[in-house]
Amino acid sequence: MNQLTTPAPVYADEAPSPDNFDMEQLIHHTELPHTRLSRSFDAVIGTISAIAHWSWPLLMLVIMINVVLRYAFGEGHIELEELQWHLYSIGWLVGLSFCYVLDDHVRVDLLHERLGLKTQAVIELLGILFLLLPFALVVLWYAIPFVQYSFEMSEISMAPGGLPYRWAIKAVLVLGFALLLLAMLSRLSRVCALLFGFPRTIRISEEKARGN
Amino acid sequence: ADDQVRWKVQAVFNTNWPGLGNPIRLVEESLKEASGGEAQIKVYEPGKIVPSFQITEAVKNKQIPAGFAWLAYDQGKMPAAALFAAVPFGMDPMGYSAWWYEGGGHQLAEKLYAPHNIHPILCSITGAETAGWFRKEINTPEDLQGLKIRFAGIGGKVLQKLGASVTVIPGGEIFPALEKGAIDATEFATPAIDEMLGFDKVAKHNYFPGWHQPFTASHLVVNTDVWNGLSKQNQTLIETACTAATFRGLAYSESLQGEKLAGFGAKGVTPHRLSPALMEALENATNEVMQETSSTDPMFKEVYTSIQDFRQGYDQWKELGSL
Amino acid sequence: MEINEILAITMFASFIVLLFTGFPVAWVLGGVALIFAIISMMADQMWDAWIGIDWEYVSITVPRIWNVMTNWVLVALPMFVFMGLMLDRSGIAEDLMTNLVRLFGRVRGGLAITVTFVGLLLAASTGIIGASVVLLALLGIPMMMRQGYSHELACGTVCSTGTLGILIPPSIMLVMMGDRLGVPVGDLFLGALFPGLLLAALYIGYIFAVGLLRPQAAPAPDDAEPVTPLLVAKVFVTVLPAAGLILAVLGSIFAGIATPTEASGVGAAGATLLAVIKKRVNLQVLYEVCRETTKTTAFIFALLLGATAFSLVLRGLGGDELIESALTGLPFSPTGIVICILLVTFVLGFFLDWIELTLIILPLVAPVVSGLGFDLVWFTILFAVCLQTSFLTPPVGFALFYMKGVAPEGITVGTIYRGVLPFIALQLVGLSIVFYWQQIVTWLPSMAYSN
Ligand code: NA
Ligand code: NA
Repeated sequence: MNQLTTPAPVYADEAPSPDNFDMEQLIHHTELPHTRLSRSFDAVIGTISAIAHWSWPLLMLVIMINVVLRYAFGEGHIELEELQWHLYSIGWLVGLSFCYVLDDHVRVDLLHERLGLKTQAVIELLGILFLLLPFALVVLWYAIPFVQYSFEMSEISMAPGGLPYRWAIKAVLVLGFALLLLAMLSRLSRVCALLFGFPRTIRISEEKARGN
Repeated sequence: ADDQVRWKVQAVFNTNWPGLGNPIRLVEESLKEASGGEAQIKVYEPGKIVPSFQITEAVKNKQIPAGFAWLAYDQGKMPAAALFAAVPFGMDPMGYSAWWYEGGGHQLAEKLYAPHNIHPILCSITGAETAGWFRKEINTPEDLQGLKIRFAGIGGKVLQKLGASVTVIPGGEIFPALEKGAIDATEFATPAIDEMLGFDKVAKHNYFPGWHQPFTASHLVVNTDVWNGLSKQNQTLIETACTAATFRGLAYSESLQGEKLAGFGAKGVTPHRLSPALMEALENATNEVMQETSSTDPMFKEVYTSIQDFRQGYDQWKELGSL
Repeated sequence: MEINEILAITMFASFIVLLFTGFPVAWVLGGVALIFAIISMMADQMWDAWIGIDWEYVSITVPRIWNVMTNWVLVALPMFVFMGLMLDRSGIAEDLMTNLVRLFGRVRGGLAITVTFVGLLLAASTGIIGASVVLLALLGIPMMMRQGYSHELACGTVCSTGTLGILIPPSIMLVMMGDRLGVPVGDLFLGALFPGLLLAALYIGYIFAVGLLRPQAAPAPDDAEPVTPLLVAKVFVTVLPAAGLILAVLGSIFAGIATPTEASGVGAAGATLLAVIKKRVNLQVLYEVCRETTKTTAFIFALLLGATAFSLVLRGLGGDELIESALTGLPFSPTGIVICILLVTFVLGFFLDWIELTLIILPLVAPVVSGLGFDLVWFTILFAVCLQTSFLTPPVGFALFYMKGVAPEGITVGTIYRGVLPFIALQLVGLSIVFYWQQIVTWLPSMAYSN
C-alpha cells in the first residue's frame, strides 16, 4: 500500500464511479522488466497463493461454527479455536511472497517515486542483498531445526483437546519464508535484467508468441 | 574474569506476582549481592524476549542461557513435564518440596530434561490456587455441562471429561471475556494474583479448594552446557539463591491470601467450597486422565508412579501427624 | 554513554534514514536488526562490551514469529479486513450517499454533512481507509463541486471523514494496539467510540459554522426536494443493513455475546450474506476479496515480523531502558511527558503511518506512560487519534494521496492541503478535549464493567 505518488489521471474517458474504479491505479510500482526466471517463480507463488487465499472464507466459516456451537449448543471446541490461527497464519505467511511479487509491501515513497527507474533498481538491489536476503536466510536457517525438533518430539497442542501435528503448522513458517526467498530471487533477476542486461529480459512479443 | 555470570533470564510470569513471579527477582537481587557482582542475571518481564510458551526450547537452543519457566507449558512435547509444575489432586507445597528434594523428584526432572540439554532448578512454589471464579453458582456435576470455562493444562482435560466447554483464550482477554459473559468462569492463580487481574470485580462466586493446583511450581531452567561451564562456587550460589527464593516467595504468597480473602467479602464475592459430589466427580475424572496419559507416555507413568509411591508414606504421615 | 546505548541510537537512526530509500519498511526493519546484531557481536569481541547478543539471540526471531502465528487475538485483523472489503463490494456506501443526500439536502452545508455521516457509517462498518476516501471522493466531490462548494471544504471533509474508520471500532489498528500492549481489544473499541464521535461532531460543527459565516463556501441547493415521511422511511431502509451489521459486530462485543475475534468472523459472514442478498457477489468477487485480504494482511504482518526482530535486537542493546530513562528524565511533570510523547507522535505522523508507529513507537512508550500512573486505555486512544491525524498530514498522508489520485480536474495538491488544514486543527482540538476529559474514553468501558 504505497502512499504517495503522482498517479496517472483517471478521468481520461468516462467519469469513474465506485463500480468501475480500480484502486490499483493509485499505487506506485517500480516497472521492472520480466525474465524467464521471474515469470516461472512468480507463477509458482501465484499458484500456491491462489490456494492460500481461500483460508479467509474458511476461517470465517470455522469461527461461525465455533460461535454457533458454543452459544447455541454449549459446546467448546479447542480444536476449532486452534484451527482459526492455523488458517490465519497460512494466509499471511504465504501472503508475504504474494505481496512481494505484486510489489505491495509498505514503502515510504516520498523520495522513491521521484527517482529514476535505474536508481530505484539500484536501491532494490542493495536492499535485497543487505536487508531482505540476510533476514530471510536467518529466519529460514533457524526455522528448519525449530520444525525438526517439533517433529522429533511429536509435539501436539498443550491445550486439552487441541490439535496434533504441531510440526505441520510450524512448517508453514518455513514454506512462507522459502516462498519469500523465491519472490526475492524473482525480483532480483528483474533488477539485474534492468541494470546489467542479465538475465535476459522477456519481451512482450515473445510472451505473446508463447501464448501468454 | 571468565567466571563472571551475565545472563539474560526470561521470566514466564509477571515478577510482581507474589510467589509465582517474584522469586526470580529475589534471585536476581541475592545473586548480585552475595557474589559481590560477579554473578548477575537480568530478568525480563514475560514475552519481552522469548514468548512464554517457548522458554525451555530457547534455553535448549542456548538462545538464552537460562529462563524462569513453568514446565507445564512443555506438555505438548513431553506430557510428563506437567507433573513437575502442577498436579490435580496432587500434594501441597511441602509435600512437593519433599518429593522434589528428597523423594527423587529432581532426579526425574533432570532425567526428563537431560536429552534437551536443560538443567532444571526448583525456584518457586505457591500454595493452592482457587478453583476458579464463576459468574453463577455450581453445585452438581451437571452444572459443569456446557459451562464455558477458561482452563489450562491437565485440569482442563478433567473438566472437558465432565462436559465443560473449555477454552484457552490468552491472559489479557480473560478479564473482558469473563466480565462480558463470553465465558462463565475462569481459573488463574492464588487470590492475591487473581485480585491483581480484577476477577473479583466481575465474577462473584469464588470456589475452593484448588483441586487442580494444590501446588504450583516454577523452575529456573539453565542450558546444561552453560551450567557445566560454571564454577562450583557459582553453581552453589545459584542453587542456594533459588532455594531461598522458593521459600521466601511461598512465605510471602501465603502471608497475603488471608487478607485478600477477607477483602473480597466487601466487594460482594461469595466464597464457596465445591460440593462433595463435584469433588468426587473431579477426582474420578482426574484419575482417569492420569491413567490414560500414563498408558500412552512411559515417562509420564514413571514420574506419576514416583509421586504416588512417595505419597503413600507422606499422606499417612500428614494424616497422623498434622492437626 | 555506553557502547550499547550508542548502538541503540544509531540503530534507530539508521532505520529512519533507510526508510526513505523506499525499500519495503518490513525488510528494512528486519535487515537493520541483523546488521546491528552483527555490529554488537563485533563490539563484544573487540571492546568487551558485554552486550551479549549472539547468533542464538538473533534466532529468537523464530519463536517470536511463531508466537505471532499462534496469536488468537490478531485473527480478528484479517477478518475485519475481509468484512470491510466485502461491504465495499456490496455497494452500501453508494446507497447511503444517494439517499442521505436527500435528507440533508436543504441544510446549508448539507452535502458536506451528508458526507460526514456516510463516512461515519463506513467507519463503523467497513473501516477500510483507502476505500472510504476513494468512495467519498468519487461520490461526494463532484456533487459538492456542482453545487458550488468551496473546493477546499469539499476535500477537507472527504479526507478527514474518510479516515475515521481507523479510529472508530471495529478498527484493525485498535486490534493491533490491544495485542501489542496486552490491553483488551474490547476496551479499546469501547474507549474509541466517543472520541471518534466527538471528532465527527467537530467536523459537522465546523461545516455548520462555515455555512453560516461564509454561505458561498457551502451553499444550500435551490432545487432540493422536501423531506417527506416517505423519504425518511426510504433512507431508513437503506441505512438498515449497514446499521444491522454494525450492531451485530459492535453490539455482540459490547454486550458480551462474543469476543472481538468471534465478532470479526461473524461480521465477515454478515457482510458476505449482505452482499449475497444484494446480488453483488459471485465466485469471482469472492476470490478478489480473498486476494485483497491476503495482500492487506500480509503487508501488515510483514511489518510485524520485521518489527519483532527489530525490537528484539533493540531490547538486547538496552533500548527499552534508554527510552525509559530519556522520557522520565525529561524536565516535565508526568502530564508534560505524555504531552511530549503525543507531540512527537504527531510529528512522526507526518512521515510514518500507523503500522510503523503502532509496532515500533507505541510498545516503547506505553510502559513508561503506564508506569507514570496513567490509564493505558486512555493513552492508547490518544495515541490512536494522533495516528488518525497522520493520514491527513503531508508529505506522507494516506488520505491526501488517495484524494489526489481521484480528484477531478480543478483540484490541485494545494487545494487539498489547504482543505485539510482546518481539519488537522480540529483533530488537535479533539485530542486536547480527550486529554482533559479522560472520561470521554474511560466512561464507556467503566459502564460496561459496572453491571
Ligand atoms: Na472502523
Ligand atoms: Na502523515
